[in-house]
Amino acid sequence: MKPSRRLDPYWMLLPTLLLLLVFFVYPLIMLVEHSLFSWDLLTPARYVGLANYRSLWRSGELWQTFTTTLSMSLAVVLGSMAAGLALALLLDRPGRFAAFVRSAVFSAYVVSWVSVGLLFLWLLDADSGIFSWIWRHLAGTRAPHWLGDPALAPWAVAGVTVWKITGYALVIFLSGLQDVPQSILEAAELDGATATKRFSSVTWPLLRPTTLFVATTSLIASFQLFDVVRVMTQGGPVRSTTVFVYAIYEQLFLDLRVGRASAEAVVFFVILLLLTGAQFLLFRSEEGA
Amino acid sequence: MIPRRDFLRAGAAASASVLGACAADAVPKGRTPVSLWFSYGGTNREVLESLVRRFNDRQTRDYVQAVYQGDYFEGLAKLRTAIAARAAPVLSHVVGEVVPYLAQAGVLEPLTDYPGIGELDVIPELGQGRTWVGGGARPLVALPFNRSTPIAYLNGERFAQAGLRAPQNWDELRAVAKRLTERKGGGRFGFGCPINWWFWVALVGQAGGAIVAEDGRVSLGDEAGAQALRLWQELAREGSMKPPPGRDYNAWEQCNQDFLSGRAAMIWSSTAFLKYLEANARFEVIAAPLPAGVKRAVPTGGTFWVVLRSAPSAEKAAAVRFLRFMHEPEQVISWSTRTGYIPVTRSAVRMLEARGYYAPRPNDRVALEQLAVAEPWPWSVDLFRIQREIVQPRLESAVIQQRDARAVLTEARALAREPA
Repeated sequence: MKPSRRLDPYWMLLPTLLLLLVFFVYPLIMLVEHSLFSWDLLTPARYVGLANYRSLWRSGELWQTFTTTLSMSLAVVLGSMAAGLALALLLDRPGRFAAFVRSAVFSAYVVSWVSVGLLFLWLLDADSGIFSWIWRHLAGTRAPHWLGDPALAPWAVAGVTVWKITGYALVIFLSGLQDVPQSILEAAELDGATATKRFSSVTWPLLRPTTLFVATTSLIASFQLFDVVRVMTQGGPVRSTTVFVYAIYEQLFLDLRVGRASAEAVVFFVILLLLTGAQFLLFRSEEGA
Repeated sequence: MIPRRDFLRAGAAASASVLGACAADAVPKGRTPVSLWFSYGGTNREVLESLVRRFNDRQTRDYVQAVYQGDYFEGLAKLRTAIAARAAPVLSHVVGEVVPYLAQAGVLEPLTDYPGIGELDVIPELGQGRTWVGGGARPLVALPFNRSTPIAYLNGERFAQAGLRAPQNWDELRAVAKRLTERKGGGRFGFGCPINWWFWVALVGQAGGAIVAEDGRVSLGDEAGAQALRLWQELAREGSMKPPPGRDYNAWEQCNQDFLSGRAAMIWSSTAFLKYLEANARFEVIAAPLPAGVKRAVPTGGTFWVVLRSAPSAEKAAAVRFLRFMHEPEQVISWSTRTGYIPVTRSAVRMLEARGYYAPRPNDRVALEQLAVAEPWPWSVDLFRIQREIVQPRLESAVIQQRDARAVLTEARALAREPA
């Protein structure tokens, strides 16, 4: 479609562009600027150059936050994708029961993060939670401190996140499965292919774009994990669940280190930018394939 | 300050005004408003709000609008942000550790010259004068309200069954914690304590150390600091102490719940929870002083009233009138007897004693009597940073991951020496 006047599209884009400039671009410039200052909001800001970045790096905090965020995100992505795909394969059929289970699984996705955090705080209680009760009855020993042990807490939080977002993966995989042509599956069946073979040779390859989409969107979403950490562990124990967004929140709102929080946010922005770039490239190569 | 920061401030101010407007009730015409930001939840909040209502009902000159702002640390973060946004309330209360920093930043109103302030008969250990080393020589910027010390809470039934008494020293603490620990089934712990800076400072004092040495060096107790950590490590390693999960007050709340549910036979917590624990326990609650190491020692805790310098003069004067009201014996007694905090004026204590209040309630006297061994905090602008950013995370890692206590504190001391 060709516009009647050449400038029309630009006028129409202007409101969105203005919103983007005011709420995204300008704050981003401010963020970069603040990252070069030491400022506690109360006393005058002091220019420190790259000292905030150096201090984050030297203290090991940046690396620890990055590895924690990455490992929890990978667990979330792999867990939610595996569960979402398995459920999609099981529930990709007509009938009231399958529809009920589909709705039930998806319902977790629309529950607020805070409610989910509070619910699992109770379920994972080391003494009276249901998981501890099961452990005690099966193993006969004191249950581990799911949220109090730095070796377990990140996986417990990741598990809760998987439970919460599996519904999203399920819906996307279901739509992907509906795009798999029945004729190919029927032809494979006529050729004597088993269910496993049909999945590995037909369904799975045809689901690749869907898988890629679920993987990248879940990865970016799980990098932004905050609410569940705030409610369940406050980044602990021993910073074992301090993911990027929580670390920024802690630096800014609890320690009032505006410069250091800004430096951490800039690094986080760059990481998300790289992830988005990788996603973009993967999609392009997928389309070209 | 560069203009972009003003933009940030304007945004924060707008948000703060909207939130304040939503939360506060309307000020009757002709009365001076006093915005008060507070951080008490549960019973403490109800008591404070009832005292504010009492003040508003008994006079027609001033009107206090009390707005809840989350726990101490959330409240403090909001207060600091609001100060920067020039949208601060007139009156708030803050933890003692942050007072030197706020005073140094020049955001607190000196109170000495306000009428009636010099006549307040505050218990010295709870006032600015003796809460901080040399606090009395500085301009008065903080008045005590909810002041506390850590105390031990004992499950009376379990102690009676085992024929035990409250531990008097660290050796007895180890023995009692071990004796009351049961490993069968879900298991019950002899001792529970939040792995928190405040209790560690108590242990450091008991081991004969101080956070800041006499020469002004941040020593973190030197060897006493390591001994304090090792005691926790030992108790946690042998399974007789449960370090509750969660950070800050989440861990405190978890510790209280462990006690109330019978999972921990003895806990260390603040005297602030006395009434809450007594009201909710299904067993007799016995309060006891903390045991001695090489000596007895406790830090004081809780918060101080502060008036923000940025407020209009008339509102600051009204806030001081409210503070004078809150220091009258009737209010001090209402607050302390309904919450468990220590009464902060001598006249209130004398009145309680004259009424025979303490005889049937020995638990209420424990924290008050512990003031005899209360140790002052250093007046250090870095104290809050040292607590929050340097020591607290390392205490957790030392106890939970059993890191070498001396190495952990050496690392912390090095960081404390770095400029903020």
